Amino acid sequence: MIYIHQIASVSPQRELLVASMDEVNESANNVLKVVEPKYEGIPLSVLRRMGKAVRMGVGGALPLIHHLAFPLNGIVIGTANGGMEDCIKFLNQVIEFEEGTLTPTNFVQSTPNAIASQLSMLSANQGYNITHVNRGLAFENALLDVWMLLKENSNHTYLLGGVEEISSYNYSIDYLADWFKKEETSNKVMYDSQTEGTLSGEGSAMFIVNAIPSNAVAKIDALKLMHTSDAAEIAKQLKYFLKEHLAEGETVDLLLSGENGDIRSRHFFEAAEGLLNNSSVARFKHLTGDFATASALALNLACQLIQTNALPAHMIKIDHMKEVKKILIYNQHKLVQHSFILVSKP
Amino acid sequence: MSRIVVTGIGVITALGDSAAANREALKKGQCGISFLDLFPSRYAETLRFGEVKVSNDQLRQKFNVLDKGVTRTSLLAIHAFEEATKNSGLSNEQLTSYDTALIGATTVGGMCLTDELYHDANNDTQGSEYISSYDIGSVNLYMQQRYGIKGIGNTINTACSSSANAIMYGARLIQHGLAKRAIVGGSDSLAKFTINGFNSLQILSPEICRPFDASRQGLNLGEGAAFLVLEKEEDAIGKKIYAIFSGGCNASDAFHPSSLSDEGNGPYLTMSGAMQVAGVTNDQIDFVNAHGTATVNNDEVESKAMLRVFTKVPAFASTKSNTGHTLGGSGAIEAVYSILSIEHQELYPSLHFETAIESTGLTPLLAYVQQPVQHVMSNSFGFGGNCSSLIFSKA
Repeated sequence: MIYIHQIASVSPQRELLVASMDEVNESANNVLKVVEPKYEGIPLSVLRRMGKAVRMGVGGALPLIHHLAFPLNGIVIGTANGGMEDCIKFLNQVIEFEEGTLTPTNFVQSTPNAIASQLSMLSANQGYNITHVNRGLAFENALLDVWMLLKENSNHTYLLGGVEEISSYNYSIDYLADWFKKEETSNKVMYDSQTEGTLSGEGSAMFIVNAIPSNAVAKIDALKLMHTSDAAEIAKQLKYFLKEHLAEGETVDLLLSGENGDIRSRHFFEAAEGLLNNSSVARFKHLTGDFATASALALNLACQLIQTNALPAHMIKIDHMKEVKKILIYNQHKLVQHSFILVSKP
Repeated sequence: MSRIVVTGIGVITALGDSAAANREALKKGQCGISFLDLFPSRYAETLRFGEVKVSNDQLRQKFNVLDKGVTRTSLLAIHAFEEATKNSGLSNEQLTSYDTALIGATTVGGMCLTDELYHDANNDTQGSEYISSYDIGSVNLYMQQRYGIKGIGNTINTACSSSANAIMYGARLIQHGLAKRAIVGGSDSLAKFTINGFNSLQILSPEICRPFDASRQGLNLGEGAAFLVLEKEEDAIGKKIYAIFSGGCNASDAFHPSSLSDEGNGPYLTMSGAMQVAGVTNDQIDFVNAHGTATVNNDEVESKAMLRVFTKVPAFASTKSNTGHTLGGSGAIEAVYSILSIEHQELYPSLHFETAIESTGLTPLLAYVQQPVQHVMSNSFGFGGNCSSLIFSKA
C-alpha cells in the first residue's frame, strides 16, 4: 500500500485541475507545451544549464523535498527519454563538427538519470536513486519500485516522479512514426477525432509517498503493468484485477481514462468502459497531451479529484454522479503498453 | 526469505561470444581492446575500444532476426539473452508465461545509430527503418515482442550502474511474488554519442586503459551484453545453480554529475550496504570485481572507499582492462564474471597495471589463481552519483 502525502506538477495548464473548458490552454500545432512556473530553490547558475526535462523534474520536486515532514530515503523517477533536447543538441554537434572537440554540458544533461541525480545533489540525498525508462511503463515501474521499497521498509519515505519533455526533435521522430495527428486538431475537440495519431504533450508530476495513512491525500491500492496488442486480453486482465483488488460490494466510482483521440486505440478504452458500466468516466489528455509518462499526471489528477470531489464537466465522458472515492486509471501507450492504477480515498 | 539463485548466464564482449569463451580469455589474461574494425568513427585509428568483432549482419543471421529496425544494442542483447535462457533450460512456455519478467538496462539504446537519428530527428527524411528504435526502452520492448514475454518488463538507466540495478530489481520482483523468474541484464553498443560524450569530458585514454595504476589516463569504451536468469532456490531444484545472488545496495554519491566525491561516500554506502543485505562481514568477501574504469577520479576514490569498508582489502581486479567500459552492460557483464569465479573457484587478473596509486597503495590481483571463492562483490558506479554494489555467493 502506497500513501501519497504531497503532490506537485508542471503541466501544459497553469493548474492541472482546470475548472472549466474556457480556462483550458489550447494546443498549438498539435502540441501542448508546459507552462513553467518560477522555479524556486535552484541556484540561477544551475538553472540556466538545465534542459527542460531536468528543470521540470528538479524544479517540480525540490519544493516538496524542502517542505518535507519526513526524512527522505530515496528518489525514484520514471522517464522514457529524459533530456531529449540536450541529447539531440549534443548529437547535432557530433555530426556537424564531425566528432571534433565538443563541450560536455549537453552530454551530461542528456542522460535520463540526470533528473534523479540532480535531485540527489541539490537535496544532498544519498539514499536509493534510480531512473526507470521503459517507455510507456516508465512511471508505472517507478511506482512498482516504490511499492516494493515500502514493503521492504515500512518506515521509509520516497520521492516518486514521472517526467517527459517534448522537443522539436522527438516530436519529429514520433511524427514520422505516425504517432501524432497529421491534420491540425485542437485539444478541446480531440476525442471527437476519427483519425490516427494523438496530440503531443509533456509534463512532470512528483509525489511524496510512504506507508503512513495519517494525513495522506490518497492511497494506491493496486497496480498492474501489461504488454499486449489485444483488447480482449485487457478486458480479461481488468476483470481479474478488479476481482482481486475490490472488496465485496466495492465499486470503482470513476474510470480516469487515458483516451487520446487516436482512432487505433479507442477499442482498448471501450473495452475498459464496457467492464465498468456503473462507473463515471473522465478523460485528461486534453489537459496534458499524450506522452510516455502521462499516467504520472493522471495520478496527480486522481489525488486532486479525491481531495476535492469536484469533477470538472470538461473531463466527463459518462457521469453517474458518484462521489469520487475510488478511481481506476487506465492508460495505454503506443498500442502495446498498458497499465491499471487503483487509487482511493485514504 | 527465499534465496535467489542464478540458473543461467549469457555474455558477449570483446573477449568472446559466450560465457565459456569469456572465461578462457579471462584466465589467459587476454585483452580485447583494439582500434576499431567495424564501427565507423573519426577515432577508429587513434583511440582503442573493446569492440565486439562480430558484424550486425552476422548477428542478424545467427538469430534469424528478420525484423526491420533492430539496432546493434538489441542484437547484442539477444545474443546474451539466448545463451542465458538456453543454459537455464527455460521452455518456451516458461518464457511466455505471466510470471517471467524481463528487466534490461542500457545507456545508448538505439542511439548507437547516431547518424540515422540525426536525420530523423531533424526531420530531413521520410523516416528511416529505425524510427521506433532510438529510445532506451526500444531494446527491451523489442525483446518482449520477439520472445512473447508477458510478465513485467522494465528498462533501467542509472548510467554505468544500469544493469546492476536491473539485477537487483529482478531479484526483488521475485522476492515480492511479482515474478517467478526474472531474466535480468543489460546491453550497450559503441556509439558516436558516447564516444564523443566521454571524449568531451576528457576521460578517454589515449592508450589501453590501466585500472588502478598511478599513471592511468582514462578509460576505453567497450560494448557488450550480459543476461542472468534468476529464480527462487526452491523453484530451481534439479537445475544447475551457478551462484546465489546474496544481495545488493543502491545509493547516491550526491556530489557531482560526472565525478565521485573525494571520500567515496556513494561507493562506501553501497559496499557496506550490500554486505549488510547479504549478511556477510567484510572479512568474508574473497574478491572484489571493482568498477575500476581507469579514470583518475574513479580508481582513487574506489580505492579509498575499499580502504574504508574493509579491515583488510581483499583481492580485487578490474575486467575493464579486458573488455573496456561497456557502460550499461558492465554491471551484468561483471556479474557474470563474478559468477564464473564462484562456479570455477578461480580469480582473474587485472591487466596493464605497473605502479600503485600513491595515496592508497593498493595493488590489484595480477595473476590467475585457483582458490576457494565463497563471496564476490561487484561494484558499478555511474555518472550522476548512481552507485551500486552486488554480492554473489557460492551455493
